[in-house]
Amino acid sequence: MQVKSNSAQLILLVAVFVIATCGLIYELVAGTLASYLLGDSITQFSIIIGVYLFSMGVGSYFSKFFNNSLLSWFIRIELLVGLVGGFSASVLFVVFPIASSFKPILYAFVFTTGMLVGLEIPLLMRILQDKVEFKELVSRVFTFDYIGALLASLIFPLLLVPYLGLIRTSLFFGILNIFVGLYLLKKFRKEIKSAKSIQLVAIVILLAELATFALSESLMSWSETLAYNDHIVYSTSTPYQRIVLTRNRKELRLYLNNNLQFSSADEYRYHEALVHPAMSACDQPKHILVLGGGDGLAVKEILKYPSVETVTLVDLDPAMTKLFSTQEVLVTQNNHSLTNSKVKITNGDAFVWLRDNHQQFDCAIVDFPDPSNFAVGKLYTTAFYQLLKKALKPEAVAVIQSTSPFAAPKSFWCVSETLQSVGFIATAYHNYVPSFGEWGYVMASQKKYSIPDTFQIPLKYLSKTVMQQMLNFPEDMKAHEPLAINRLNNQALVNYFEEEWGKYLEQ
Amino acid sequence: MKRRKFIQLSATFAALAPLAYSCKQQHKPIAGSIIGASSNIGHLIRNGKFDAPIVTAVVDVAIVGGGISGLSAARWLLKNGISDFTVLDLEKKMGGNAAYGQNDVSAYPWGAHYVPIPNEGLNEYNDFLVECGVVTGFDDKGLPILNEFYLCQDPQERLFINGQWQDGLIPHFGVPEKDKKEIQQFLHIMQEYRLAKGKDGKDAFAIPIDSSSNDVDFTNLDTMSMKDWLFSKQLKSAYLHWYVNYCTRDDFGTPYNIVSAWAGIHYFAGRKGKAANADYHDVLTWPNGNGWLSEQLQNPLQQHLQNNALVIKVFEKENKVVIHYFDVNTKQVKAIQANHCIMATPQFVNNRLLVDNTERKEIVHKELSYAPWMVANIIVGKLTDKTGAPLSWDNVLYESKSLGYVTATHQLLQQNKTINNLTYYLPLNELQPTDARRDAQKMSHADWVNLILEDLKKVHPNIEKVVSNIDVMIWGHAMAQPVSGIIHGGVRKKLQASIGNIHFAHTDLAGISIFEEAFYQGINAAKKVIATKN
Ligand SMILES: Cc1cc2nc3c(=O)[nH]c(=O)nc-3n(C[C@H](O)[C@H](O)[C@H](O)COP(=O)(O)OP(=O)(O)OC[C@H]3O[C@@H](n4cnc5c(N)ncnc54)[C@H](O)[C@@H]3O)c2cc1C
Repeated sequence: MQVKSNSAQLILLVAVFVIATCGLIYELVAGTLASYLLGDSITQFSIIIGVYLFSMGVGSYFSKFFNNSLLSWFIRIELLVGLVGGFSASVLFVVFPIASSFKPILYAFVFTTGMLVGLEIPLLMRILQDKVEFKELVSRVFTFDYIGALLASLIFPLLLVPYLGLIRTSLFFGILNIFVGLYLLKKFRKEIKSAKSIQLVAIVILLAELATFALSESLMSWSETLAYNDHIVYSTSTPYQRIVLTRNRKELRLYLNNNLQFSSADEYRYHEALVHPAMSACDQPKHILVLGGGDGLAVKEILKYPSVETVTLVDLDPAMTKLFSTQEVLVTQNNHSLTNSKVKITNGDAFVWLRDNHQQFDCAIVDFPDPSNFAVGKLYTTAFYQLLKKALKPEAVAVIQSTSPFAAPKSFWCVSETLQSVGFIATAYHNYVPSFGEWGYVMASQKKYSIPDTFQIPLKYLSKTVMQQMLNFPEDMKAHEPLAINRLNNQALVNYFEEEWGKYLEQ
Repeated sequence: MKRRKFIQLSATFAALAPLAYSCKQQHKPIAGSIIGASSNIGHLIRNGKFDAPIVTAVVDVAIVGGGISGLSAARWLLKNGISDFTVLDLEKKMGGNAAYGQNDVSAYPWGAHYVPIPNEGLNEYNDFLVECGVVTGFDDKGLPILNEFYLCQDPQERLFINGQWQDGLIPHFGVPEKDKKEIQQFLHIMQEYRLAKGKDGKDAFAIPIDSSSNDVDFTNLDTMSMKDWLFSKQLKSAYLHWYVNYCTRDDFGTPYNIVSAWAGIHYFAGRKGKAANADYHDVLTWPNGNGWLSEQLQNPLQQHLQNNALVIKVFEKENKVVIHYFDVNTKQVKAIQANHCIMATPQFVNNRLLVDNTERKEIVHKELSYAPWMVANIIVGKLTDKTGAPLSWDNVLYESKSLGYVTATHQLLQQNKTINNLTYYLPLNELQPTDARRDAQKMSHADWVNLILEDLKKVHPNIEKVVSNIDVMIWGHAMAQPVSGIIHGGVRKKLQASIGNIHFAHTDLAGISIFEEAFYQGINAAKKVIATKN
C-alpha cells in the first residue's frame, strides 16, 4: 500500500514537472513568435512574461473554486493545456496575416495557458495534501516545478528552435501534455468518474495535434505571407522562385523571393530609364533581345517603337511569363505586351541560351535580379558579357540593370568596369525610383553614347534634361577605389554586393 | 524504488522524443551499384590460361594502355609523322584514371578531376592547351589567357570546421591564434620552396619531377616522411597536421606519415603557374574532370584506338616486340608484331605482362605500392546545409576519413541547379594497401552507401531524403605511393630504362600521379621511338 501511494505521488510530481516545462515552453514560443512577427523583442518578451506570470496568479486564485473530484479536474486541465498550448504557434502563425488585431489574440493565448498552468499547481498540492506532510509537499512540488522551468529554458534555444521550429515545438509539447493526461487517466481510472469520455476527448486532441505536426511544413510556408505589409493578392512557388503580389490602396507590388521587383506607382520611372536611353541610341532598332524581365514591363516600353519587328524575351521561369501573359490585373500593367505577336518568349537559362544563340540583335535589355548570390552573379561576368557581345550587331546598344549606385557603389561600378574589360564602351547613369531608392544602369556599346535631342515617343519621366542629370554622378555614388573585374572564377561582384548591401540588412 | 519508477517514467517520455523526428523517413535502400574499372577482366591475366593467338597484325608502334600517358605518347608520334601505330586498352573507353561517367544530370569524373594552372616553360603542354582551346591567347607579358569557362568558378573550396563552413581549405574558422601562426609559418616555408632553386640552377620542385634540381639540400627531403619533417620544423599544430595530411591523401592517396617529405612539399611548391586571369592556386576543371582533356587527346587519334583489348603478354622476338592480347568482344587471343612497344600501363601490371626480366620485376614488387581508392557519384536534389560558405566546387569535412566531395555540376552555366552530381572521394589508406583492397572487395553497395551518408549527414542532414542514386567505383591500384625513397632513391631511373624496343611510360614511374607527369611520360617514351628512326 505504501509503495503504491508513493508511486502515485511520484507520477503526479512528474506531471508537475511536465506542466512546468510545457508552460514555460509555450511562453517562450509566444515570446519568440511575437518578436518574429511584431519585431522589438525586448518589448514583446517583457510583456509576454508579465502577462504569463500574472495569468498564473489568476489561475491560482481560481483554484479555490474547485472543490470536488480534483484529480479529474487536474486531468481535464492538463488536456486543455495540451490543446491550447499545443496549437498556440500554429494558430498564431495562421491568423497573423488575416486577423485585423493580432495582439489581443496573442495575449489571449498567453493568458489562457498561463491561467491553466496556474490552476494546476494548487490543485495538485491539494490532491497530495493528505498523502504527504506539508513541508515535504511544498518542497517537492516547487522543486519539480522549477527544475522543469530550467529544463525548458535550456532546451528551447539549444534544441527546439533550431531543430523543430516554433510550430512543431509547441505541438510536440502539446502532445506531451496529452500523453501525461492519458497516462494519469489510465493510472487513476478507478478514482475518476467519466474517465471514458475524457479519454475519448484526449485521443481526439492527440490525433489532431499529430496530424498538424505532420502537416506543419506546408502550414509554415503558407504563413510566410506574414513578411509583407500589404494584402497579398497572389502568391505561388515555382521551382525557381517565390512570386508574391501585394496590393494596397495606392499600388500593386511584385516580389520575387521577397525582393521588390516593381511597384505600379513608380515602375514607369524604372522601366523608362532602363529601356529608352539604349533604344533611342540605336538607329531604327528592329530586333530586340530582353534577358530576364518576365514581367513584360520592359517589353511594353520597347513596343512603343514602331521600328521594332521582333522582341526575343528569355526568362528562366515559365510560371512568371505565363502569369504576366494571362493574369488580368497584370496584363493591364504591362499592356498585354507578352502576348503581342512581335514578342517571342523563351523560358530557359539566359547564360545557356546566349552560349547556344547565333542571332544578332540591334538592342539588348538585361534585367536580372541583383547579384546577391553566386548563381545570379554569373550573369554579370566577363564570360557572360563576351557572349552578349557576340549576340549584338556592331552598332547595337545593350543596357544592364546594375543595382543601386548609392547603396552599393562598388557593385555598380564593378559592372561598368567588367563591361569595359570585354571591350565595350560603358555609359553609367542613374535615377530615383521612390520604391527602390537611387537606382543604376550601365549601357554597353561600341560607339560613344550621346544624348539624343528628343526621345521621339511620349514619355512620363525621361527627357533630354533628365538624361543629362542621370549621367551625372555625385561623389557619394562613386567607388573611390580600384575595383576588381567580375569573372566566373572570382565572383568579385557578389562579394562587393554582400559587403555593401549586408550593411542595410543588419539594421 | 522511487528512483527506478522515476527513471522508467522519464524513459517513457524519452521514447516519445522520436515523434519529434516523425518527418524523417526510414532508411530506404538507395539505388545504384558498384561499378568496377574492369578488374574482373584484368584478373584474367592473373588467373587465366590463354590459347595461342589466332591472328597476327603488324604495326610500327604498339602502345599498351590508353590512359593519359599512352594517349600522350600516341599524340606525340602522330605529331612527328608516325602514323602506323595502335593503342590497346582493356576498358570500353580510353582515359584510364581520367575516366568519367554521364547521367541525365551531367557528366562527372570517376577519377582525376582537375589540373592546376600550367607552370611556365612547359612548352609541349602549353601547345596542347592551346590546341584544345584551354589557352585562348597570351597577354602582353606573355602570360597565357585561360578560357574562362574551364577555370573553376567561384566559390571554389570550402571546409566544414568547428560547426560551420569556412571559405577555402586552410583551417581558420575557430582556429586558435597559435595554430594560425604555425599555419602561416608553414605556408611561408612552402612559398620559399616554391621559388627555391638548386645549385644546378634548376627549380627545387618542378613539374615534371624529373626536371627538378638534384641538389642534395632538397633531394635529402626524400629520405624522411612529411610528418617527421613538420616536427623537425617544430610545427605541431593539430590543425596544420590535419591540413597537410589531407593534402597528401588528396594528391597521393597516401597519409603524411609515410609520404616522402619531398613529395609532400612538392604538392605545395611544385605548382607555380601564372596566367593573365588566374594564379597558381586556381584550377582548371570540367564536369567530366580530366575526362575532358582525355577526349581532346583522343579526338585526332580515333582510328588508332582499340578498346576492349586486354594485353596479356609482351616479349621481344627477333628484334621485334610481340604483344598478345585478349579481345574481350570476340573472346579470342590475338597478336601484334611491332617494331616498338610503349608500355603505358602501371608497373604491377607490366610485371604480369613481361616474360623474363626477373630483376626488374623484383624491384617493382619490393619498391612500389599502390593506394586503393573508392570514388562514388551521388545524385542529389536540394540539400539542406550548415551555415557559412555556400556549396562550392570542392567541399571538405575537417577530420573526415573521406576527402569530401567535388560538385561535378559546378561548372555548368545554369544558375538554377535543382539536381546535382557530387563526386565523393575516399582514399583507403587506413590499412596496408593489400589489406585495404581485400576489405574493400568485401563491402556491399549498401555498406558503401551507409558509410557515405553517415559522413555527409553531418553537413547535409536531409541527404538521405534527397539522394536518388549512388554509384560506387573501387580503384584497386589507383596510384603509386610516393613514400620516402621513391622519388630520389634511384628506383625510378632503373624502371624508366627501356628494354630493347620496349619503352615505359606511366605516372608510377614519374613518382607522383598527376596529369602533367602522364603527359610528359608519354612524350618521353615517344621521343625514344622517334630517336631510333633518325
Ligand atoms: C581517384 C583518383 C583521382 C585523381 N585525381 C587527379 C586529379 O584531380 N588531377 C590529376 O592530375 N591527377 C589525378 N589523378 C592521377 C591520375 O592517375 C593521373 O592524372 C593520370 O590520369 C594517370 O595516367 P596514366 O596514363 O599514367 O595511368 P592510367 O590512367 O593508370 O592508365 C593506364 C591504362 O592502362 C590500361 N591497362 C591496364 N592494364 C592493361 C592491360 N593488361 N591491357 C590493356 N590495357 C591495360 C588501363 O585501363 C588504363 O587505361 C587521380 C587518380 C585517381 C585514381
